[in-house]
Amino acid sequence: MTALAPTTAPRREAMTGTVTSPSGRVGKALVNVMAVLALGYLFLPIFVIVLFSFNEPKGKFNAVWQQFTLENWLHPFSDTALTDALILSIEIAVLASLVATVLGTFLAIALVRYRFRGGSGVNFFLVLPLTTPEIVLGASLLTLFLEPHLVLANQQFTLGFTTILLAHIMFCVSYVAMTVKARIRGFDWTLEDAAMDLGASPSRTFFKVTLPLIMPGILAAFLLSFALSVDDFIITYFVSGPSTTTFPVRIFGQSRTATPPQINVLATMILVVSVSVMFVATWFGQRRQRRMGIS
Amino acid sequence: MADVNERDDQGRKQARASPWLLLAPGVVFLFLFFFFPLFTLFQMSLSYRPSRFEDPVFGWEWSNYSEAFSQYGEQFSRSFVYAGLATLAALAIAYPLAYVIAFRGGRYKNVLLGLVVVPFFTNFLIRTLAWKTIVGDQGWVVDTLRWIGILGENESLLRRPIAVVGGLTYNFLPFMVLPIYVALEKIDPRLVDAARDLYSNTWRAFRKIVFPLSLPGVFAGSLLVFIPAAGDFVNAYYLGSAKTTMIGNVVQNQFLVQVDYPVAAALSFVFMAIVMMIVVVYSKILGTEDIA
Amino acid sequence: MTDRQEHIRKEALRLARLAGAPRLNRRQFLGRAGALLGVAAVGPTLLAACGGDDDSSGGGDGGGGGGKSVAISNWVDYMAPESKQAFTKATGISLDYKEDINDNNEYFAKVRPNLSKDQSIGSDAFVLTDWMANRMINEVKWVQPLDEAKFPNKVNLRPSLQSPAFDPTRKYSAPWQSGITGIAYNLIETGQEIKTIDDFLAVEGSTTVLSEMRDTVGLFMLATGADPTKATYASAQPAFEKLAKAFDDGSIDGTNGNEYVNDLASGNLAAAMAWSGDVAQIARDNPDVRFAVPEAGGMLWSDNFMIVYTSDKPDLASEFIDFFYDPANAAVLTNYIQYIAPVDGVDAELVKMGGDAAKLVDDPLVVPTPELLENVSIFGPLDENEEEQFDERFAEITGSG
Repeated sequence: MTALAPTTAPRREAMTGTVTSPSGRVGKALVNVMAVLALGYLFLPIFVIVLFSFNEPKGKFNAVWQQFTLENWLHPFSDTALTDALILSIEIAVLASLVATVLGTFLAIALVRYRFRGGSGVNFFLVLPLTTPEIVLGASLLTLFLEPHLVLANQQFTLGFTTILLAHIMFCVSYVAMTVKARIRGFDWTLEDAAMDLGASPSRTFFKVTLPLIMPGILAAFLLSFALSVDDFIITYFVSGPSTTTFPVRIFGQSRTATPPQINVLATMILVVSVSVMFVATWFGQRRQRRMGIS
Repeated sequence: MADVNERDDQGRKQARASPWLLLAPGVVFLFLFFFFPLFTLFQMSLSYRPSRFEDPVFGWEWSNYSEAFSQYGEQFSRSFVYAGLATLAALAIAYPLAYVIAFRGGRYKNVLLGLVVVPFFTNFLIRTLAWKTIVGDQGWVVDTLRWIGILGENESLLRRPIAVVGGLTYNFLPFMVLPIYVALEKIDPRLVDAARDLYSNTWRAFRKIVFPLSLPGVFAGSLLVFIPAAGDFVNAYYLGSAKTTMIGNVVQNQFLVQVDYPVAAALSFVFMAIVMMIVVVYSKILGTEDIA
Repeated sequence: MTDRQEHIRKEALRLARLAGAPRLNRRQFLGRAGALLGVAAVGPTLLAACGGDDDSSGGGDGGGGGGKSVAISNWVDYMAPESKQAFTKATGISLDYKEDINDNNEYFAKVRPNLSKDQSIGSDAFVLTDWMANRMINEVKWVQPLDEAKFPNKVNLRPSLQSPAFDPTRKYSAPWQSGITGIAYNLIETGQEIKTIDDFLAVEGSTTVLSEMRDTVGLFMLATGADPTKATYASAQPAFEKLAKAFDDGSIDGTNGNEYVNDLASGNLAAAMAWSGDVAQIARDNPDVRFAVPEAGGMLWSDNFMIVYTSDKPDLASEFIDFFYDPANAAVLTNYIQYIAPVDGVDAELVKMGGDAAKLVDDPLVVPTPELLENVSIFGPLDENEEEQFDERFAEITGSG
């Protein structure tokens, strides 16, 4: 997701001109070819996914190319169970990202802005969820939700919307904290003092000075959370109930029995929307940079 | 307001109460829904089942651990081998790409980085299913390999270890590209120029200067690929066979099909402990900043 | 905004710019804040809209207007598309029909956390195989009796299915369909007909067995001369050894639930252990896919409709099963899914429908002949300990994948 975050590192020109030997030139070309092949490898399945959204499958499985049709795109939402699952996924992603963004941003501000005993401990604690395998996160949350616990006020959970939401907030918080932290590390906090010295109240300072400045980082973190939440399968599979099926969980179920081309159509739509959002975010970012006279 | 005036060289405040107020909501949440569940998982791993379908009861059942090892040792080692191979493969594919983007990307750097990320806006499962179509017996890849003679007439790619490792490599590749790119991007080009003058050839300059300087990125990327790959069950599920099952498949199957929670919990706990050890060693060597 | 405040803002921004931070004018800032506020405002609405999702008993939206609705969980491809509408039209009950059962064990694991705590699973009824029905009715007791008053068509139940050991008076369960487990193969890939388990193991291309333990072990028991109707762990040993050897030497590549249908149709599998009706459905698109009952015998099973004990609509759920016990409606189902109907009089209805439907009467897999019934067995009951032994050994052999 670094692409959402144009780096503010000093710009450099491509390094050319110093290569002299023929072997060097061959090597350089070779590396370029390898990079192009790597990009091709990255896009090969995407090509297949988009292509098969135009397939007219014979029978129930959209796995062998038959013939071109626009039918699937004319009826993208005809598989109602799949569409409902996508809507549920989006609802969960919006809510989880909102909560995670607030919690994560507070964490990031605290860690970057203050030097305090225990700071590096908190930092390590934040990294742990990122380095714990998803299967362990899923399994541990399932054991948590099985029975009531004193620390959770003896709340008896029902596997479903709430449990999925809590799980998604959990794995997004650390990502948000890390993203926002990375973005505000270079921020000069004396600006706040300047505002306060000029008579602004602390809350006014926060909303008028601090928040606008760190907003791009927060927005990037929100988008990242959203993408992670919509895409998550493994953890969700463990904590979803029998009647709450998110988009990935539905796909997993369908992949075993029938794969309608609408899966590919919706996947392609998600791809296009995501790329547009990324493009707009990058464009805004670059415009900001230009205004700041950095590039 | 004494704390306002006490700042370190970065202008950061030294304070007692306010950071903890900001930290509290997030830390409490993570404690309740990350740390505490690990504790309940540990409890589960020491529980026994009074009867087959009742909730397990805690009882210091250490035998779950020995059972986990004796029964699923094979899946254990296989997970680490596959994840290791996938990490190496991802490194081989990602490094040239990150190198070209960082040093030859010019003004297209951001676009190229975007291209690395774009495929991952489609769902993980759909991507893996697409790979199943690509390497399936009716696909052109198998046709070509059979035609060249690498594969026999009745041989497939699907259900073989190579298909699973390939799927793992693909699905976690961006986690390798991005950290390496970040590390390469930090290198001062004047240093490379100087190195080239010194060693007179690009390859040696690369080996002596660029590669060592990019190592933090390589390490971080390796960790970010290795951990999810070792814990994955989707690739082995779609692309593998009974002989390529990984630890994730066992945990998934025991939890969500066989309803044998305690042994599965023991299994996940050991798995997590090993991964955590790797992470701690890494963070001691490199510092947590590079992992995140 | 007062002048003083404006001054502070300008000053702070000036300082910020000096410090190299990005510049935001007021309009931009307001625009961004507005966008975020918008999202924040939508959030609670969404929360309110979907807050009840996981608790809504019985599931189903009721089709709006507070009408009657019933939610049914079933296996995939176990319903004719036209039958769903026909049901709603005939009864006025809107139907939330979910194809969310892929595997008895997996479904059990999914509903266990909820049902063991008296919580809804979002469905009023589900359809599970004999042995799992036994567990639901007699061991965990998570089902409630069918509403006889709403199920007059129960009289049409075939006599041979009326008193299984797990539910002697069919108080809790009604068979949905029956079927036969055998071998499906793609004639082009195998190059020859498959007649025995040994033929199946000799297939060069990829093959899988069913993750349903009783189906796979049952067929292997028959192939090793054991009797699955009186299965004991001891009598199944030769079958387990044969199965383990086949997994070891790679004659079998893995297990499948419902997924084999996909792989068989797309050519990724040469042969697979399979259920009769599924194969009939694939064969409609791909005539090279055949089904065979091994010479040593096949397995016969039924899937049973049961009402969840947490459902508050046993009457509506009973009306659902009653509808499909009308021979005419049952015949529509049979014509589409091509399994064995549990209802008397379906053959006559199929003949009435004419065309391809009438031809089904001559298909022994749909209307079983005495010879075929002679050659199939029902897996016998296992007590809890034995079942666990069977399951563990099976999981060990199949690598729990």
